[in-house]
Amino acid sequence: MRILISALATTMLIAAVAPALAASTEADYKAAYAAAESANNEAGKLRNQWTTAVSALSAAKKAAEAGDFDKATAEAKKSEQLSKAAIFQTNEQKENWKQMEIR
Amino acid sequence: MTIARFTAATPRTGRIADARRAGIVMTLVLFASLTASHAAQAQSSAAEGEKIAFDRSKGNCLTCHEMKGGTLAGSIGPALTDIKSKYPDRNELIAIVTDETKRNPQTVMPPFGRNHILTEKEISAVVDFLQTL
Amino acid sequence: MMRSVLGSALGLVIAALTFGAVHTAVAADTTNPEADAKAFRKFFTDKFPKVKFDDFVNGPYSMDEGLYQQWKEKEEFPPYEFALDMGKELFAKPFKNGKTFADCFPNKGIGIRQNYPYFDEKQGKVVTLELAINQCLESNGEKPYSYTKDEMAAVTAYMAFTSRGKPFDIKIPNDPRALAAYENGKKYFYTRRGQLNFSCASCHVQSPGERIRAEVLAPAIGILNAMPIYRSEWGGMGTISRRFTSCNSQVRGVPLNPQDDEYRDVEYYLSYVSNGLPISGPGARP
Repeated sequence: MRILISALATTMLIAAVAPALAASTEADYKAAYAAAESANNEAGKLRNQWTTAVSALSAAKKAAEAGDFDKATAEAKKSEQLSKAAIFQTNEQKENWKQMEIR
Repeated sequence: MTIARFTAATPRTGRIADARRAGIVMTLVLFASLTASHAAQAQSSAAEGEKIAFDRSKGNCLTCHEMKGGTLAGSIGPALTDIKSKYPDRNELIAIVTDETKRNPQTVMPPFGRNHILTEKEISAVVDFLQTL
Repeated sequence: MMRSVLGSALGLVIAALTFGAVHTAVAADTTNPEADAKAFRKFFTDKFPKVKFDDFVNGPYSMDEGLYQQWKEKEEFPPYEFALDMGKELFAKPFKNGKTFADCFPNKGIGIRQNYPYFDEKQGKVVTLELAINQCLESNGEKPYSYTKDEMAAVTAYMAFTSRGKPFDIKIPNDPRALAAYENGKKYFYTRRGQLNFSCASCHVQSPGERIRAEVLAPAIGILNAMPIYRSEWGGMGTISRRFTSCNSQVRGVPLNPQDDEYRDVEYYLSYVSNGLPISGPGARP
């Protein structure tokens, strides 16, 4: 019983504390931003940038300028995720567009 | 998510017989209270899902689907009624909202999960809401 | 037939047959604009058997009886009239060098809208009416117009107006570059893009006549015949460039620059498959 409770308590404690430990530094932000920017550029080369990826990128920059590196890092990561989905979409459509063609 | 964490912890602590019995009882108690709170959670989640469904920058379901509580609905997709009887399996609804192109490559439905239009949690809330329709 | 031409030279016959076979294999997978246009037309006339063919140029109004009535009433005081007057004036107004738009176009620019876009073999690319207007301005030392509205919408409105009723007559010359541009435009038309994962076809092939919110979606066939348009949603006039760029933003895609290759090519494709439908621009849309 005691073991169980302590195990539960530990799990809950970890769950509660984990996000607080994840505070981002300027270096984290810079790395995340660079990755997001490069994904966005790649989507641009594929002629398929997403507006949401671009606005997340500028939100990241703005948050960083205000010193909020948690938000800046999160926005940059979101932007990268979106650009990667755009790149996936472009590749997936390379052949799949033909499925929709009126023949 | 929470349930998974609790149940996973149980077998590891069940080495001593007493502890095991106590553990089972405790788990049952926990499970019962969790199911109760889960029902309450689903309710608040459905309310959250309703907000997301109607939000133009989020689910924006009305653009294509008629649904209870909305006006000026689109007609591209089917009307959202009797969802629970049409889709008794919650996972099927999750799959449709996440990426219907997997099942039907020609669908017009945006892949809300694949394209990160909604988070997993938001999709889950939307599905809770859809099940009330 | 080839055999009779080549007579008994067996080697040559074999060579010819081999060539013939390869040629057919390639042809099966290559573009056939004529067949495309036929299938395109059939798709829409089958889907909307009650719509008179020429009525497809009226977009959403052809799809809905009530809207059709509203539109007929609106046409008595058309919202594009101001742009039309402005276009007529700009069209006649001499440039600084004394020349006018009439000097840049066949038939002095009157009644020629149905021939655009065309494939310009000298430039090696598709030339749309909007591009031709700006090329005319620039070659006469004038500043080009912005592509999406205002003067560009006005001048194209006037040029369309003088061409009303003339059927689209888009040609694809026997030039592999023209065929490639057509194919590129077709690919653009059917390719899904943006976070919402829509292609042009998602709305205008798969869902014409359906409502997106309160708005009725127009069929792809004939959609460009009414350009430029006054859109209540825009609160003003918009060109084809405006239509393409705003469609992209609506599906959460970053628009390309007006008159980039993809846009000119998709206009080429879409106009070609609407061949035979009359020019009806300028138009008005909700």
